Amino acid sequence: MELLLQGLRKAIEMILSGDPVILEITWRTLKVSLTAIMISTLIGLPAGMMLGLIKFPGRKLILTLINIGMGLPPVVAGLWITLLLWRSGPLSDFELLYTPTAIIIAQTLVSLPIVTGLTATAFQQINEKLIMQIKALGATKIQLVLILLKESRLAILAGIIAGFGRVIAEVGAAMMVGGNISGETRILTTSIVMEVSKGNFDIALALSFILMTIAFLITFCLTYLQQRKRSQ
Amino acid sequence: MTSLITIENIEIKAGDKPILSVPRFELRQGEVLGVMGPNGAGKSTLLKTLALLAPPGRGSVFFQGQEVGDVLALEVRRKFAVALQQSLLLDTSVYHNIAIGLKLRNRSRKEIKEKVAYWLEVFKISHLSKKHAYHLSGGEAQRVNLARAMILEPEVLFLDEPFSALDFPTKVQLLKDMKQVVENTKTTTVFISHDLVEIKYFTQRLIILMDGEIKQSGPTAEVLSSPNEAAAGFIGEWSELLS
Amino acid sequence: MFKIKRAFAIMLIMLVALMAACSSSTGNDATKDEPKESGEVERTDIILATTTSTQDSGLLDVLIPMFEEQQPYNVKTVAVGTGQALEMGSRGEADALLVHAPDAEQELVDSEDVVNRQKIMYNDFIIVGPADDPAGIKDAAVAEALTKAFDAKATFVSRGDDSGTHKKELALWKEANLDPAENGSYVETGQGMGSSLQVAAEKKGYILTDRATYLAQKDNLGDFEIMVEGDESLLNIYHVMEVNAEKHEKVKKDGAKAFVEFMIAEDTKKTIADFGVEEYGEPLFFLFE
Repeated sequence: MELLLQGLRKAIEMILSGDPVILEITWRTLKVSLTAIMISTLIGLPAGMMLGLIKFPGRKLILTLINIGMGLPPVVAGLWITLLLWRSGPLSDFELLYTPTAIIIAQTLVSLPIVTGLTATAFQQINEKLIMQIKALGATKIQLVLILLKESRLAILAGIIAGFGRVIAEVGAAMMVGGNISGETRILTTSIVMEVSKGNFDIALALSFILMTIAFLITFCLTYLQQRKRSQ
Repeated sequence: MTSLITIENIEIKAGDKPILSVPRFELRQGEVLGVMGPNGAGKSTLLKTLALLAPPGRGSVFFQGQEVGDVLALEVRRKFAVALQQSLLLDTSVYHNIAIGLKLRNRSRKEIKEKVAYWLEVFKISHLSKKHAYHLSGGEAQRVNLARAMILEPEVLFLDEPFSALDFPTKVQLLKDMKQVVENTKTTTVFISHDLVEIKYFTQRLIILMDGEIKQSGPTAEVLSSPNEAAAGFIGEWSELLS
Repeated sequence: MFKIKRAFAIMLIMLVALMAACSSSTGNDATKDEPKESGEVERTDIILATTTSTQDSGLLDVLIPMFEEQQPYNVKTVAVGTGQALEMGSRGEADALLVHAPDAEQELVDSEDVVNRQKIMYNDFIIVGPADDPAGIKDAAVAEALTKAFDAKATFVSRGDDSGTHKKELALWKEANLDPAENGSYVETGQGMGSSLQVAAEKKGYILTDRATYLAQKDNLGDFEIMVEGDESLLNIYHVMEVNAEKHEKVKKDGAKAFVEFMIAEDTKKTIADFGVEEYGEPLFFLFE
């Protein structure tokens, strides 16, 4: 209990004092996680829509793989990416290992199946007659897609929220591909692990409060976006 | 009467099973056409084909004598309106549901506002304008659905059993209102129904569709009173019940 | 009230935001050197594989900035278990190693995976345990202490993670001719030194730890004391070495060499010897004289 209060006090202290290291780590965490979830959304949304709306051979197989991918343990993703990015690996020439980009790749990999899968599910549930009705109202293909997106926004945003939750909480892959390098790839989750291992529980707690606060704020914004206008 | 939509050589199959087989059919300018037939007879497929919502296969669809290909499809489709049995309203207010077709056509805000107000009035739902579409009764929702179609001032209106899910008093009231609207606007209408009363009251011409083929076509009263051999099996028992 | 235009707008915003994020993250490589000094020479990244216990001591937080000030390199310090650090060396995934597992290091020297191996410093391992000392091992010799703990079936906490400390512990058991796994009260954490110490404190067990981590954490451990110390077999020796660029082509030879030279320079040695004195009243690392 005393430790909790101590951690909370430390967190407030660290934020108020504008500790540049903390600010930098927090800023990097936000940048990396938001970039990852945005890439996941930009790829996963259209991909999920196509999987949900268009029937083609192999679709079931792809959907099954995506569902499996939703449970992809981040450390497994991290391990694969490490092997690929290693100096002895096939993608070594990009020199991406131990860079923020590597973390973004790993986080995209673990959140993409969630965004894609939940979007696909949302679009599979759309009544075919609704699609016909919207076409009959004179919608072009693009207008049709936009209306369907709007109609499915609850489920889509749920997917994005779930994906973001995974990304911001993820530590195993970030540790492995990022290396928790001070000033370069250290993010909140990896810092917490490191501070715990150093025995600095108060700093770890302080960082955890910061992490929870930004996770809460962003999830709150997304939820607001999801739930607004229901007031009518 | 001139032909508004003509379809030719329509052969639509699901696997080996024929769904619709129509060598030639004309929808005439200004008529209110009824379509009857048992479940699975191909009524909805016929409607989709006429309304350019499903590809005509190897056959052709002509609008005002001109063949409609992929290029023209959207332009011509925008002269049509469709209302189905399910109201299928969008997740927004009544106002925006009715406005959607005009928005898709990029009409001005002012025009949209005036027209929505007008059609809300015609369908007696002005008081619902701000209500969310998911909070409407079945009858209210169907009025919104029909207003959403009529606001487009379509050259052809397609109705696929729009009244069948409503309770009796609601149905009668809406049927009367709708007939009024169609007569006032002189809209060419295709009306699919299972209900002989609706057909008798609403339509001038009737076709009987069975197993994907048009078995009989003629003035509604005539078809109902003297169905031919093929149609008799379907119409006969109905007529008995009514007489 | 949701309009199609608005859906467009949201997608557009997301796109713009993404591009902004992308450009700032790709621009990252250029900006990450900024905090050091602007208008500086271009820096080459080198990878230093080291152990978590080294990082946890905080020594590198002092040494690396010193090195980067003197030399045109940017050190990416990857702190992993000793096993992984050595593996990174033998695969050429790192440029330099700073580790403390002399026997395993010698294997890398023999296989020519590393070159220019230099003895840097040492600290020592100690066995710590609850102050009431249930097995009565205090001040005994190492083998005797382990035997007493084993016979008393006292809780003994092990890193169990193939780290340098873990390897050391296993070697000590072996010298005492005991197999700790036979004992039901032997706990393997699979975690770092700090976490393992915490587990030992919770379970009131004995544990082998490096002195530096113990000193850093002493305040969090409650009634915990040093039981065994000072034995020669408890020395924890750190070496720095270059990964062999002749064998692993992608290794940055110049950077690795510069780092090893830096580590054995006089200034560096002084910094190492002074490290920790201010905070703990005694140094955490000792030099070989």
